[in-house]
Amino acid sequence: MDLFLHLCIMILIYIIFALSLNLEVGYTGLFNFGHVAFFGIGAYASALLTLHHVPFELSLLIALAMAGSWGFLLSLPSLRLRGDYFGIATLGFGEIIRMIFQNEVWLTKGPMGLPGISKPILFSYRFATLPQYFLLALGFAIITFLILRIILRSPFGRVLRAIREDEVATEALGKNVFRFRIKSFVIGSFFAGLAGTLWGHYITFISPGDFTLLETILVLLIIVLGGKGTEWGPVIGAVLLIFFQESLRFLRLPAEYTRYLAPLQQMIFGGLLVLLMIFRPEGIIKEKGKVENVRSETGQ
Amino acid sequence: MEFLLQSILNGILAGCIYALFAMGLTLIYGVLNFVNFAHGELIMWGAYFLYLLMEKPIGLPLFLAFIPALFFTMILGLGTDRFIFKPLRQANRLTLLIASLGLSFLLRNGAQFFWGAEIRTYGFEIKRGMRFWGVSITSNQVAIIIASVICIALLYLLFYKSRLGKSMRAVSDSLELARVVGINSRRTIQFTWVIASILAGLGGILLALDTNLQPGMGLINLVKAFAATLLGGVGNLWGALLGGIVIGLAENLGVLVISPGYKDAIAFGIMVLMLLVKPSVLFRNQE
Repeated sequence: MDLFLHLCIMILIYIIFALSLNLEVGYTGLFNFGHVAFFGIGAYASALLTLHHVPFELSLLIALAMAGSWGFLLSLPSLRLRGDYFGIATLGFGEIIRMIFQNEVWLTKGPMGLPGISKPILFSYRFATLPQYFLLALGFAIITFLILRIILRSPFGRVLRAIREDEVATEALGKNVFRFRIKSFVIGSFFAGLAGTLWGHYITFISPGDFTLLETILVLLIIVLGGKGTEWGPVIGAVLLIFFQESLRFLRLPAEYTRYLAPLQQMIFGGLLVLLMIFRPEGIIKEKGKVENVRSETGQ
Repeated sequence: MEFLLQSILNGILAGCIYALFAMGLTLIYGVLNFVNFAHGELIMWGAYFLYLLMEKPIGLPLFLAFIPALFFTMILGLGTDRFIFKPLRQANRLTLLIASLGLSFLLRNGAQFFWGAEIRTYGFEIKRGMRFWGVSITSNQVAIIIASVICIALLYLLFYKSRLGKSMRAVSDSLELARVVGINSRRTIQFTWVIASILAGLGGILLALDTNLQPGMGLINLVKAFAATLLGGVGNLWGALLGGIVIGLAENLGVLVISPGYKDAIAFGIMVLMLLVKPSVLFRNQE
């Protein structure tokens, strides 16, 4: 039962993480390859604040604000770039944030990491046990899902999709593409921060090694597998992949094989990403009404 | 003063290597019009191929081992094109980029699978460098400079004095037009991969000779190569050369001021600074 609850909590956290990336990659067409940075900022900010006895409600808010404002700062120079360049800029940013976690020892204790992060207390209710934490994660996942759904079904969301399909035409219709992109990126970073915060308080120990390219690849694979640009795609992707990843963790393998297991699992993730792109780029759920998909269905 | 001179020398050395990376990246970009995220992994595998050939049970000496190592890197580069990028030639940009990112992750963990994550070296004993005017330089470093200069000279000859170079330039200007005038674009693309992989492999080997090998070396050098490419103007070969040297110098002079833990971040900083101060430079070069 504990194992099952653990699995559910991890899946819920990654659903939040993936939904936030789906807003950027799936709907707006931003090539964000450093999404882990905001996950990490959320986790570290909230962990550090609660370790200094700031109440959880406040540190959660500050962590989200931190993730959002770092997203804003990064987007200012890099969103002027065309797709590929933006991809490299975010990829680089992900590495730099990890370098900061590693090097600013006075703040983050460097590679030693931060142990003993407290379980969250919201309005004097402590979410300490697994079932309690499950409810907390479920609550936040539903809130995230609903907020993003409202955003994406609004006129604002339609502009984002228009930008993805044709930037120049959207600009010609009088929309400030740059601004819409920044907003999308900041909202995405904000929710990635939320996922990071929940993760940090659940695992209770974070170190710079938790925020590597692996997380970015994993979350990218989640949305690509499930179906990017769809409401339920990230949910399905998260269920499948996190189940796969966490169940490998509980395989009772002899110690000499574990050294091979991690790279092998990551090779599978990378290879799966490549294969999906070649054979089924739209993922499990196809986005309805997308120009490319309509064309391929009607055979035009 | 001597300290400063030494830093400048080290900067130029590192810069030569970054230039090799950046030139390969920009060549692929010019011809296929996308940033190959797996370029860093060609760099890393180049270095590991040499390691494989020099270690037991093969144990070749360096000067014999580096040619097959470059050959294997070339096969790897051509293979990625044949099996991944060629089926995706008509795909949209996001698909292509995600595929190349996935490939990069696959290759990186492939190396980690075989050799583990630990830092390795080629196992040369550390020699005292030769000293000129208080600046020390090792024989490996001399080899780095010679190899890069030869490489750049060959590239110049190839690009401006040969038919193949001419067709590469034509394809990078416009694939359709090049086809119209009867240039074999498929062969030209393959040839571009050959050059880019060899440049990456050689750069990786030289870097590993000067420092060390680890599976993560690809990613960080990709960012540096990209920063150099941006500095020099995307698609511009000689710009990439210059950009690489600027990045190398900035890194080695930068650590005199800031903490060495952030050495790898300097290239990124320059990139962001460039974008903030002069975004127009980029847009002109994109044409």
